[in-house]
Amino acid sequence: MKIHDIAFYAAGFFILGVLAAGIGLNKSVVILVTILATAVFLLLGCFTKRRQNFWLAGLSLLIIAGAFYYFNWVNHQIKNISIVFNEKIEFQGIVVGYPERGSQQKLAVELKPPYAGKVFVKTPANPRFNYGDLINFEGTIKNPAPVSYANYLAKNGIFGILEYPQAELVAENQGSFLKSKLFKLKEKILVVIQRSLASEKAAFLAGITLGERAEFSKEFEEAMSQSGTTHLVALSGYNISVIVIAMFALLNRFLKRRLTFVLTTLVIFGFVLMTGAQASVVRAAIMGFIALLAGQVGRLYSVRNAIILAAFFMILANPRVLVFDTGFQLSFLALLGIVYLLPAIQRFFYFNKSAGFLFWRENFLTTLSAQLAVAPILVLNFGNFSPVSLLANILILSVIPLTMSLGFILGAIGFVSYYFSLVFGWFINLLLSYEVFIIKFFGQLDFLQIDYFSGFLAFVYYLILIIFVFCVVFRQKGSRKLMN
Amino acid sequence: MKSKSWIILIILFLVIFDVFVWGRVIFSKPIEDSEIYFLDVGQGDSELVILPNNVKVLIDGGPNSRLLSQLDSILKPFDRYFDLVVLSHSQTDHFNGLVDVLKRYQVGAFIFNGRNGTASSWQELIKAVEENKVPVIILAAGDKIDYLNSRFNFLLPDRNLIQSSDLNETTLVALLKTQGAKVLFTGDIGAEAENYLIQRYDLDVDVLKVAHHGSKYSSSAGFLSEILPKVAVIEVGKNSYGHPTAGVLNRLASVGAQIFRTDNDGTIKLEIKNKEINVFKAK
Repeated sequence: MKIHDIAFYAAGFFILGVLAAGIGLNKSVVILVTILATAVFLLLGCFTKRRQNFWLAGLSLLIIAGAFYYFNWVNHQIKNISIVFNEKIEFQGIVVGYPERGSQQKLAVELKPPYAGKVFVKTPANPRFNYGDLINFEGTIKNPAPVSYANYLAKNGIFGILEYPQAELVAENQGSFLKSKLFKLKEKILVVIQRSLASEKAAFLAGITLGERAEFSKEFEEAMSQSGTTHLVALSGYNISVIVIAMFALLNRFLKRRLTFVLTTLVIFGFVLMTGAQASVVRAAIMGFIALLAGQVGRLYSVRNAIILAAFFMILANPRVLVFDTGFQLSFLALLGIVYLLPAIQRFFYFNKSAGFLFWRENFLTTLSAQLAVAPILVLNFGNFSPVSLLANILILSVIPLTMSLGFILGAIGFVSYYFSLVFGWFINLLLSYEVFIIKFFGQLDFLQIDYFSGFLAFVYYLILIIFVFCVVFRQKGSRKLMN
Repeated sequence: MKSKSWIILIILFLVIFDVFVWGRVIFSKPIEDSEIYFLDVGQGDSELVILPNNVKVLIDGGPNSRLLSQLDSILKPFDRYFDLVVLSHSQTDHFNGLVDVLKRYQVGAFIFNGRNGTASSWQELIKAVEENKVPVIILAAGDKIDYLNSRFNFLLPDRNLIQSSDLNETTLVALLKTQGAKVLFTGDIGAEAENYLIQRYDLDVDVLKVAHHGSKYSSSAGFLSEILPKVAVIEVGKNSYGHPTAGVLNRLASVGAQIFRTDNDGTIKLEIKNKEINVFKAK
């Protein structure tokens, strides 16, 4: 077995173990099933005499490692918490994330001794609190409910909720230097965008460039969800790849290869921190980095390994993301769809391989494969999926890279002159008007809504997709053999 | 060769841009009438006055950022300037929305009555004014603002009312005369301040912004029968105070005022030209 195959299977089995533990299987079941799997691979190895099966037998033991990693990680996390629930207490805490701002503020707060752990605090929109603020709170911390919400928060290391407490600022700038600088930068860019554009368009631009989502009105959020365009403002891998490609193309003109690599990496790293390290951003950043690295050291970039390594590192950092982070699941499933389903569909329907006018064919296939891959998760988690989204995405995706680039330029110009940014805003306004119109138009079409799916159906659905991909690939191989 | 085509592209772009800008300068018609919007911002007050040639005065900002989407739908996308932002008095259902406006728009000057608010978000307003270097002007009874043929007369507060323990009574009351029509902006004044007004001034108005969202402690029968409004606008949203009260609605009806309310009618727009007032409802 080649080294990259070993890495692939090792990571795969480990992830399988984390999955097993995450969905609630207990230790003995995991161990039993793993040993069975190992035995099967050993037997296969004896019969077929292929060394690969012995490798797999050995590596499959990593399922146990994955499961135990999950259990230990969760134990460790819980052991370090000391929060008093359902009792009015006074405590101090530091705001550790970028505050979500809208009609109210949502703060992730790390408790100071004698307490320990993180809680989610909701306060009125004003007065504003910032990252790194030390605040004196008085209120009652509650357990989050229902269970799905509790699991979602636990994924972020948050175990309690505090709603509208008395809050008084004690000190500022108690957070990390780098993060607070990056958040300040983000805030400044947001202000530039907000001062140059009407509020709804400003919110959309802030969404696609910085993943800032708090400012959307309920109606607009609904329209994005109905039209299947929410992924644009959730900073998907798509946004990151636009940034990586633009950065690389720009820097590569003027700088040496190695310097370009280092600078691009630093920018991606800063961007990930600035945008709050959402799962989709981290995934895309890791994969982008692997791609850059492969180019740098002259190795072939294997998408398969890049995907699984990105997943592996993210799960290593926080094993809860695999089962409890919908963003993580959507991000990886969409990517798998684009990488494996897209070529299968292309071959099956004999699609022309050129991108088409304004990349419509490419956008269509990408959207179709990604949407097919994530549809069950969307229905299970958000209660709806609309085939109309295909058309909406094709119409919008063609202009998003340009809008994003202009958005970043607008942010930069704003630091030079307000009036200049205002004038520049007129041009972006044209693009944004178009995009907002499409979102609203498709958002109000509600025919063909699919709103029911069960876990079992989802399983069957994915099985069919996988079989489809395999069939197409084998048919292709078969026909090649015939031709030879 | 490649750089040459870039230069051509940039020049072409600039030429088109130039034509666009001058086109706007030459062909955009001056606006001759006055428009007043009573914005649907929920339970709170916000009025936008647009005088001839697009001079904009925003009076109050409602309780939250809902004001922004209202402004989005009225103003052109490149219109990012208010000549004046006026705060009637320092309560959150009047100033919270202004925080967003001060942060996102250029503002010529911020006008208020000089009484600081007690709510914690007041500091945010002060911060937004200071950070954006907006000039602050404090006005009181007797002050005036003239623009072409339009005039804002500030009728209250006087020296006594500005010290009132009730912030509502400190309201900066403005009478706008434009295009031959009179519009009275009353903020949240109660019966006491209303009595002051009719004792001191000989008032008759065409349009009344009904005080305090239709509270029963405002819009007294004596006041209404003195000023005899033809049009009465109540800015009100979901609330637990029972605004607007049946008493106020009856009193307004009994003086013959046509009543509009933002909770039922949405944003209400008045077009005023040569004494003629046209009312448009959003809903």
